[in-house]
Amino acid sequence: MSEVLVIIPAYNEEENIERVVRNLETHYPEFDYVVVNDGSKDSTAEICRKNGYNLLDLPVNLGLAGGFQAGLKYAWYHHYSYAVQFDGDGQHRPEYIDAMQKKMEGGYDIVIGSRFVTEKKPKSMRMLGSNLIATAIRLTTGVKIKDPTSGMRMFSRKMIEEFALGLNYGPEPDTVSYLIKQGAKVAEVQVTMDERIAGVSYLNPINAVKYMSKMLFSILLIQNFRKRDRRYKKKAGGTEE
Amino acid sequence: MTTVLRIVLILMSFLVLIVMLRKVRQSKARIEDSMFWVFFALLLVVFSIFPQAADWLSDLVGTMSTSNFIFLLMIFLLLVKSFSMSMRISQLETRVKELVQRIALTNQEVERRLAAEQEETGNGTEKAVSTGGKKLVGEREAK
Repeated sequence: MSEVLVIIPAYNEEENIERVVRNLETHYPEFDYVVVNDGSKDSTAEICRKNGYNLLDLPVNLGLAGGFQAGLKYAWYHHYSYAVQFDGDGQHRPEYIDAMQKKMEGGYDIVIGSRFVTEKKPKSMRMLGSNLIATAIRLTTGVKIKDPTSGMRMFSRKMIEEFALGLNYGPEPDTVSYLIKQGAKVAEVQVTMDERIAGVSYLNPINAVKYMSKMLFSILLIQNFRKRDRRYKKKAGGTEE
Repeated sequence: MTTVLRIVLILMSFLVLIVMLRKVRQSKARIEDSMFWVFFALLLVVFSIFPQAADWLSDLVGTMSTSNFIFLLMIFLLLVKSFSMSMRISQLETRVKELVQRIALTNQEVERRLAAEQEETGNGTEKAVSTGGKKLVGEREAK
């Protein structure tokens, strides 16, 4: 069994899922993966079954946070050391997982596949949002995260436990911000991302504004009032169990 | 309070009472959930029949008129209700999420074991096992 589990949340990704999983299976057999079909209305689940992919099939749609959490529960119960959040639409490239794992072994809790460690951030509306969130995180934690909205993140075993079993642990920048404040160590590794090839992006302008305001409100205000479960508090810090 | 307002309040209260009790009769609402509405309606009926009680409370709170007090009271009660409902929805969503995840994890485990069994026993029983797997999927979809 591999140490790393690649979690691929998929919602209506019938056009992409085969390409994404086949790429992983043929070129990166060293990583285990699980496709989390989040109650898709299209044939995503059938495609996975037909090809014999490792599939976690949610009977109803839970949204990204619930779907990804199901994947983390799988990682937790099957004793994986690391779990990677990996898009089902082919935006993320598996070639960087190895580098992220290497970084992780340096004693981090979360490693973000970041587009802007060495590369410069382009100036666009989307990046304005990214900058706003980065500023909010910096204000509340003092830590600089260059690409907080990147959807490619790797989690350590103890983060897997916390994310899998806790409430309010969506795979979003606000949770990352909260965990940094709680003493989790977060690093970034430079990656390149592809444009989505097929299917529709969830990110239209209205959703983007909603997402941004939700994140800012959460990071700047609500996360400060959270109480951390004692179970995780004891283990907080850089050392592995 | 004007007589018209009192009549409107009484009529509205009885409407709420009738609708709510009918829902309970038809087993469409739990008794626990009907309590709030029954209480709400009865309270308004009491205030409409004995406006002196409302007048007295209104003076006590310091609202300009009794009708204002009635409105304030309704807004307050509804706020409390919507808060408690919001809490309950949160809990419900968490529970549903846990259940959905559990179902998916269990199904995956069953499918994996079936596949492993199939590999172990070889081609002889392949057919039977694969229909078994299908049956499981069918059952899930039927629900």
